[in-house]
Amino acid sequence: MSHSDTNQDDLMRLLVAVSREDHDAFHQLYQSVSSKMFGMCLKLAGQRDLAEDALQEAFIQIWHRAREYHTDRGMPLGWMMSIARYRTLDMMRARKVRRSGSEEDLEHIEDGREGPLDESLRSAGEARLTGCLDELNDAQRDSILLSYYKGLTHDELAHVLNSPLGTVKSWVRRGLITLKRCLER
Amino acid sequence: MKKTPERIEMLAAEYVLGSLHGLARKRFERWMMESAKAREEVWFWEQKLGSLSADVPAVTPPSSVWDSIENRLWQKGSQKAAPTGKAQARANHRWFWPSWSAVATAAAVVMAFVLIQPSSEVPQTQLSGAIVQTDTSDPLWLVSETGQGNLLKLRSVAASAADTGKDYELWIVPENGQPLSLGVIPAGGLHEVILTDKTRQALSQSRTLAISLEPLGGSPTGEPTGPILHVAQLYEL
Repeated sequence: MSHSDTNQDDLMRLLVAVSREDHDAFHQLYQSVSSKMFGMCLKLAGQRDLAEDALQEAFIQIWHRAREYHTDRGMPLGWMMSIARYRTLDMMRARKVRRSGSEEDLEHIEDGREGPLDESLRSAGEARLTGCLDELNDAQRDSILLSYYKGLTHDELAHVLNSPLGTVKSWVRRGLITLKRCLER
Repeated sequence: MKKTPERIEMLAAEYVLGSLHGLARKRFERWMMESAKAREEVWFWEQKLGSLSADVPAVTPPSSVWDSIENRLWQKGSQKAAPTGKAQARANHRWFWPSWSAVATAAAVVMAFVLIQPSSEVPQTQLSGAIVQTDTSDPLWLVSETGQGNLLKLRSVAASAADTGKDYELWIVPENGQPLSLGVIPAGGLHEVILTDKTRQALSQSRTLAISLEPLGGSPTGEPTGPILHVAQLYEL
């Protein structure tokens, strides 16, 4: 916990310096978080070249927008990861990356709790979200996790899960509502 | 479409999840600019769902990514990157910053809210942004460049009328030199400013607008004479 706090303090210090157009701080920031961000972009896009472009775009935005970071938006790392995630999603959609029902996607679903869920939420800090994910039924949880990790749209989810579009939309929405009520408790 | 709290809640969640896409995604980004509630919902989900990324394995990106970033940020306009150019720019900004700090102490701190960029496939860039004030949840004005980039639109959202006998005047804060007036702007309604080649170029370089409080009809000198009330940075759409 304290290690991660220190890390966030470092990132905060770097972000403040970046907002003052400190080039060295920007390079340090890149070195501190780019692997973490690239891993996420790569997992989401499933394509190396797209993930590299998205990472580049994300850092261009971070450079221009560092002064707009504030703590209501979450920890510095989370804020930067969100930027990288949106850039990746935008590029996937712009380049029409279709996520077909590949074996990899289906494997995660069959794995259920041993799939993307537990693997990603092992760390102690995420216990609350894990608890809340357990309140969803399997279809709701899989729909949400596939959207999150693979960037699937409703149409793609319907294809991958071999279910009608309306049903899939309702799984996502009901799942999100349940999740929110649980997270707010 | 009605912006009920339930609807905002659901759209924010789907926005962060990524399942909201296409026009619906763009429309929601617009809502985010206009509604503090929508932004708060998005931030809530970014933090909660963001924890799902915590254990995604890190992968070192190739060094070409950093090279491209550096190249795009600092080696494009070579005279801009040169230290003398920068020092000059700072000197030219001097008129501006003392007024700015005075504004800050008067507790009218302004923050530009960021519009998240949609796909960058469109070749021509258009600027967009909002003039906001920290103690007001809605933006004062929304700003967007339209047409071929020669028209700047200001849509009043929460701006209140200037004091009696005063007018708001809009300025481009260029990278170098004195601010360029874009004329007096009304507090309400939709206002359009036609950009000349000169103002358009200055704005596309600095992307910075400012609003000052001036005597009726605008500054008599051609430079800001009253306090700088707001500063906003625009972003590429």
